[in-house]
Amino acid sequence: MPRVLLIGYGNTLRGDDALRPLAIERLRSLLWDAEVEETEFLSCRQLAPELAQRLASSDLALFVDAACDGESGTVRVQRLSPEAGDVASFTHHVKPEVLLQLAQALYGRAPQAVLVSGAGAAFESSERLSEQGQQALNEVCRRVPRMIREFLACVTNNNIGL
Amino acid sequence: MATITIDPVTRIEGHARITVQLDEGGEVQNARFHVTQVRGFEKLCEGRPFTEMPALMARICGICPTSHLLASSKACDDIMAVRIPETAEQLRRIMNLAQIIQSHALSFFYLSSPDLLLGMDAEPEERNIMGVIRKYPAMARDGIRLRQFGQRVLETLGGKRIHPEWVVPGGVSHPMQADQRDIILAEIPEAIRITRNALRWFKGQIENFRAEVRAFANFPSLFLATANDVNELSFYGGWLRFVDANLNIVADHITGTAYMDYIGESCSDDSYLKSAYFKPLGLTDGVYRVGPLARLNMCKTAGTTQADEELAEFRELERHSVLSSFYYHYARLIEILFSIEHMQMLLHEPGILGKNVRAHASPNDFEGVGILEAPRGTLIHHYRIDQNGLIKSVNLVIATGHNNLAINQGVVQVARQFVRGNRLQPGMLNRVEAVVRAFDPCLSCSTHAAGAIPLDIQLLAADGEMVDRLRR
Repeated sequence: MPRVLLIGYGNTLRGDDALRPLAIERLRSLLWDAEVEETEFLSCRQLAPELAQRLASSDLALFVDAACDGESGTVRVQRLSPEAGDVASFTHHVKPEVLLQLAQALYGRAPQAVLVSGAGAAFESSERLSEQGQQALNEVCRRVPRMIREFLACVTNNNIGL
Repeated sequence: MATITIDPVTRIEGHARITVQLDEGGEVQNARFHVTQVRGFEKLCEGRPFTEMPALMARICGICPTSHLLASSKACDDIMAVRIPETAEQLRRIMNLAQIIQSHALSFFYLSSPDLLLGMDAEPEERNIMGVIRKYPAMARDGIRLRQFGQRVLETLGGKRIHPEWVVPGGVSHPMQADQRDIILAEIPEAIRITRNALRWFKGQIENFRAEVRAFANFPSLFLATANDVNELSFYGGWLRFVDANLNIVADHITGTAYMDYIGESCSDDSYLKSAYFKPLGLTDGVYRVGPLARLNMCKTAGTTQADEELAEFRELERHSVLSSFYYHYARLIEILFSIEHMQMLLHEPGILGKNVRAHASPNDFEGVGILEAPRGTLIHHYRIDQNGLIKSVNLVIATGHNNLAINQGVVQVARQFVRGNRLQPGMLNRVEAVVRAFDPCLSCSTHAAGAIPLDIQLLAADGEMVDRLRR
């Protein structure tokens, strides 16, 4: 069973929001085979409640998203914890924290979770990344393999993880 | 005269509000369901090559993109005047069944289960999907699992759960592989188990909702659905048929552009949603309903073993047709069961892995109509093109438009039954919302709900002064 769930979400038709599928594609090639075997790669347009079960069967969830705030081209890493949040838009999109809460409430466990946000600059209709979006993508692809590697090493050594 | 406004209506797909008008004594005089979002797709598609329409139409909604994709492809088939390969038609049917499963599961488990499980009068803070998860986690897990099954089929065939593009004019873009078929087949027993459990539970709850059964859009009306030669439940092929409340056929064998002879469309000043009506009877008397209730009323049998057993029991509710719209929930569960069973049958068809899945042709007609049964009811796509194959006009008649007049009548009926006096109680107004939810309206054909949706109910006196307010 993959220990790491790598979820990239966003809209590929909205400029820098496409950072996530590009990141997921590239990250697969940046990991060692053994690390790939421990990782489930998932690219989706939006987070939906059906992902809760997959989260519950993982040890680490890495959410990769594009952010429209923050300094363009940079990356922000944020630890997440389960949170009972807005349920009004439950049918369309849920926040990662709410998804973790669902996993906890329905399946008895939520993984450690981290949100990796690459700050983009252009989110209008486009299938190309901006220069800043490209910078953020590069940074995401530099940091995430390291995080996965460190986590797997910690688990192997019976430590608690990240 | 005072007016109560429920704005927005919650736990539906899209943006709407309800106004309830009270007389001086606090009794309900009238009520209206207003859709406050604009549908712009008919206009923005003008000038596009007709072959782009399926992909464009799939973007119309995040809940039922597959239904629009399929109806659009059927309209394009009609323009090309092609008969698509049999394998392609079976694959399209499977995709439509998957769409119905996931959408019905969403309606029942995510949107309506808080009312059904926690009660119409439960505190609003608790009466939501998180409340269901806290109190009934096993059922919530089943709901998620069932929707996941439908979505997985869509993803397996269409490449992605939302806005798949696999269905194209003339068929589908590529055949099904054996491993794809086997993945779906392996999950079917669990999906059937979940659905049967939900049906058993729902049937056991009906006694607790007698008042809602009596008052939730419970009146004689016409019904519209797709019919076929064997009078079985039909979602993809066949023709349109209208029946009256006693199930007498009033119009039959309606295909192609002939729908315009029977379906009129009316606009009002207070809503962006068109009201469809049965033209021969006019706007006032031509109210009809579509969707699960209409389909189960109209068919003689479902066509699969377990669904037929459930349908026989469903029929015992009334002597003729089942008229209460509260039973849309029940009908939805039976349709899920049918869809799973029917999907299983189609997957076992010997030709299902056939490689011939697409017919190619240039336009052979300047007009095309695609009709199928979407989860919420009959969906019609009607396109006209010019000599270069560019779209000249588009008309979409969606299920919620067919149901609009009935929804409005239902809102009046429920408001008169449950809303009393000048002091509001959440349970009263929740029932007004719940009758709308029973129809599972999808208003998202042009936009999506986003962010937190607050509820703000204001009770205004005749002079406009606010005398009471509930917010969440």
